[in-house]
Amino acid sequence: MAETPIATINFKEEAHRLLPEGASFEACLTCGLCSSGCPASGIENMDPRKFIRMAELGMDEELSTTPWVWCCTQCKRCHHVCPMNIDISQLVFLARSNWPEDKKPQGIVRSCQMICATDSTSAMGLPPADFVFVVEDVLQEVQATQPAFRHLQAPIDKQGAHFFVNQNSREPMSEPDEMVPLWKIFHLVGADWTYSSIGWAAENFCMFSGNEAAWYEVIKKRVDAVNNLGCQVWLNTECGHSYYTMWQGMKRFGLEANFRLESLITYYARWIREGKLPVNAKWNSKGIKFTVQDPCMIVRKAYGEAIAEDMRFVVTSLVGEENFIDMQPNRSANYCCGGGGGFLQAGMTEHRRTYGKRKFDQIAATGAAYVLTPCHNCHSQMEDIGHFYGGNYGVVHFWTLICLSLGILGENERTYLGPDLLALID
Amino acid sequence: MTTCQMNTPPEMDMKEETRHFNTQLAIIGSGIAGFAASIFAVNRKIATAQIGNTGALAYTTGYLDLLGKQDDEQAAIADPWRALEELRKNQPNHPLSRIPTADIHNGFDEFTAFFGEYGLAYSRPGANNITALTPVGTLKQTLCVPATMAAGPRAFAAQKPCIIVDFIGLKGFSGRQVVANLHDRWPDLGTERIAFPDMDHGEIYPEVMARALEVPATREKLAAALKGAAGQAKVIGLPAILGMHRPDHVRAELERLTSLEIFEIPTMPPSVPGIRLRELFEQVLPHKGVTLIPQQKVTALTFAAEGATLSLSDSYGPIRIHTQAVILATGRFLSGGLEAHPDEIREQLLGLPVTQPADRTLWYRDRYTDRRGHAIHRAGIAIDHAFRPLARDRRPYNERLFTAGIILAHQDWIRSRSGAGIAIATAYRAVAEVERFLIAQA
Repeated sequence: MAETPIATINFKEEAHRLLPEGASFEACLTCGLCSSGCPASGIENMDPRKFIRMAELGMDEELSTTPWVWCCTQCKRCHHVCPMNIDISQLVFLARSNWPEDKKPQGIVRSCQMICATDSTSAMGLPPADFVFVVEDVLQEVQATQPAFRHLQAPIDKQGAHFFVNQNSREPMSEPDEMVPLWKIFHLVGADWTYSSIGWAAENFCMFSGNEAAWYEVIKKRVDAVNNLGCQVWLNTECGHSYYTMWQGMKRFGLEANFRLESLITYYARWIREGKLPVNAKWNSKGIKFTVQDPCMIVRKAYGEAIAEDMRFVVTSLVGEENFIDMQPNRSANYCCGGGGGFLQAGMTEHRRTYGKRKFDQIAATGAAYVLTPCHNCHSQMEDIGHFYGGNYGVVHFWTLICLSLGILGENERTYLGPDLLALID
Repeated sequence: MTTCQMNTPPEMDMKEETRHFNTQLAIIGSGIAGFAASIFAVNRKIATAQIGNTGALAYTTGYLDLLGKQDDEQAAIADPWRALEELRKNQPNHPLSRIPTADIHNGFDEFTAFFGEYGLAYSRPGANNITALTPVGTLKQTLCVPATMAAGPRAFAAQKPCIIVDFIGLKGFSGRQVVANLHDRWPDLGTERIAFPDMDHGEIYPEVMARALEVPATREKLAAALKGAAGQAKVIGLPAILGMHRPDHVRAELERLTSLEIFEIPTMPPSVPGIRLRELFEQVLPHKGVTLIPQQKVTALTFAAEGATLSLSDSYGPIRIHTQAVILATGRFLSGGLEAHPDEIREQLLGLPVTQPADRTLWYRDRYTDRRGHAIHRAGIAIDHAFRPLARDRRPYNERLFTAGIILAHQDWIRSRSGAGIAIATAYRAVAEVERFLIAQA
C-alpha cells in the first residue's frame, strides 16, 4: 500500500489565524530564551527558535515533516519565558494533526484508539464491566483484611454524589492496590464521591495525537457522564494531562457542564487545613528529603502559582518544612519531565531520555531521596530517567505519603517506598 | 483507526470565575524597575501586587550601572557620584537629576542587600565605578557587580595571568574574541576551548550549563577539565554559567575543587545573569507576601474615587486587582510600555502623553552611530515632583498613579550606561511617594 504523504502547511498563514493579536512571529527578536529553556532543543536538529525562523522563511515542507513535533511535549515553557509572548505549541498541535495516522508515532495513535474503543475512555482499553469488577474485588479484599477499613466504600454510578472521581487506568489494570490509599482518604474526610462506569478513565492521548475529532468525543463522553450522574465536581485524580485535556476541551468545543473541574491537590490542601486529614511529619524521624515535581499540565498551563503553593503546603505538611527541597527552577518555570505530550507512549525512547536529562539534573541537584508528583506521566518518566542516568531517588504518589503519614498505608500499598521509608513503617 | 467522529460542537463558552485581589500598591512591569519597586514596597510593609510580561529582564548582564558616561563626553565616568552633580546642572529634567544622591545610594544598598540574602551576593555601591568586562572583551564602567564576576575586574586591574575558557558548541561567547580585544591592555591573557561535561554534541546554552553545574558530579568533571586548561595561570575566566540558583556556592565549590580563582563574564542573550535575577524575584517575592502574577499583561487600568482597578487574565481566567496606588514600570519599546506608530509614539496602557520629537523625521539622525544620539531615545513619560505622570494639561494624570524606570522621558539610558541606575533610583523614589500618599489617605 502506498504511504500517505504529509501535506505541507503554510505555517505563517496559520500563525496569523491561530495566534492572538500582538503575538505574531514577526515580533520574535530571535533572542533564544525559548530554545535555551526548552529540554527538546537540539533533538532532531530542531529547537523552538529555529521552528519560528523556519516558519518565517517559508520552510513549510521541512516543518510539516519534522519528527520534532512529537518530541516537543507542548509544555509551553517557551511561551512562558518569551518576552514577546509567542506561543508555538499551537503550531506544534497543528503540525501533529496534519500527519497522516499511519505516519504518526503508533504508540500515541493506539492509545487514542483504545480510548475511543470503549465507554470507559481508557487508554489501556479496560471496559466498564472490568473496571467495576476490579474496583469491587479490591474493595472486598480491603474490607476483609484491613479491620480499620471494613466499612470502606468505593461507590460506582452513585447518582447525585458531590464528587465524580476519575481514575488513571494504570491502577485498575496494573496495580489495583494503588487505588486504595485514595479511597481511604475519601473515607477519612467523609467525602461524598463516586466513580462512574462510563467515562471514568483519566488519560487522554487523543489531544496529543493531534486527533481533534477524537479529543472532542472523549471529552463529550466524560462531560455527559458527569452531567448524567448529577455530580457537582469533577475531581481530577493525580494525573496532569487529564485535567488539561478536559478543561481545554470543554472550552475549545463549548461543552455545557453542570459541574466544576477541580484538582485533588486543592482538596488535599483544604482537608489538611480543615483538620480532616490530620497529617504530620513526625514519622519522618530520619529526616528523609523530598522534592516535588510541578506537572506542566496543572501548573504552568492551567492553575498557575496557586496550585503550586497548595502542592508545597501539602508536601511540607507531610514531610516537614526542613525536609523539603524545591527543584530549580520550579512552579510555572519548571521544566517538563519529558513524559508529557504522549512522549512516553510514542516509542522514541532515546529522544525522550535526552529530553529528560534536564529533569534528572534538577532532581539530582536537590539531593532528595524522593520526588512527589501528582501526575502519572511525570511519575513514569522520572522513574525511567532515574534508572537510565543512575539516579538514586524514588518517585511517590501523594496519596501514598498521606496514608503513610496517617499510619494507614496497607501492606500492598507500598510499591513505591524504598527501604528507608519501609523501615520507618515497620 | 479511531472510531470517534467529530460532531459540530454547540456554540457555548464555559463560565469563568473572575478572581479578585485587594492591595495597597499594584506595580505594572517585571523589569528591574518593577522588581526593585516590589522589594522597596515590601521592606516598607506596603501590601503589594506585581504584574507584568517577562520583559527584558532576562537580557541583563547582571551588572548594575549607575552612570557610566556623560552624553557629550568621550571618556568613561570613574566617579558616578560626582558625575551626578554634573548631570543635575546640564540635564535638570533627567530622572536621576530629580533624586537626591543619598536616595540613589540607599536604593542601590537596599537592592543589592536583598540579593545577598538569597545566595546571589553583589558588591555594594562604592565611591567609584568598577571597570568590568563585556561579553566581547571590551571594558565598561559599572557600579555593582555580582560576586561571581568580581574577580575579573580585580585580575584585570592587577594584570594577573589569566585564561579565558570557552566551550565547544557554545555560541555567543568566544574566548578568542575576548583575548583579541583585551590583548593590548592585558598581555597575560590567553584562551582555551574545552568540552562541557556530558554535552558533547550540538549547540549548548549557558542556561543549560548553569543548571547542570548545580549538580555536584558535573562540577567535579568540569573542575578536572579546568585544571587542565589553566596551565600556569591561577585565574580562570568563564562565560556566566556558574549555577542558576546558588551561583556563589557553585563558584566557591569550583574554586575549592580546582584551587584556582574563577570569575564569570556576561554572555550575549540568552544569558544566565538575567534568568538568575528573574527566577530569584519570582520565588522570593511571593514568600515576602507579594501577589506576583508574572508573564501576564495588564489589559486595562481604570481609576475611581476610592481606588484603581487593573484587569488581566492568566491561563486560568480573568483577574481584577483593586488597589490604592499604581506604579507604572512598563519599560520602553521592547517591553511594550511605549509603542512606535507611524505618526507618533504612544504609551500603550493609558495613552499617557509621551514627550517626543514633533515629527517622525526627527526621531533619528542620519547616521545611526552619531555620537550625539537620537531624539527617539529621550522620548518618554513626563512626571511631576512626586513621580506622577502628567496629563495633557500638565497636571498629574491621577493622584494614585506613579511611574518608574526607563519609560521616563529626558534620558538615554543606553548611551549614558545608566539603565539599572534609573530603574532602581526611580523605583526607590516612586515607592517613597506611594508611601507618603498611602499615609495621607489613611
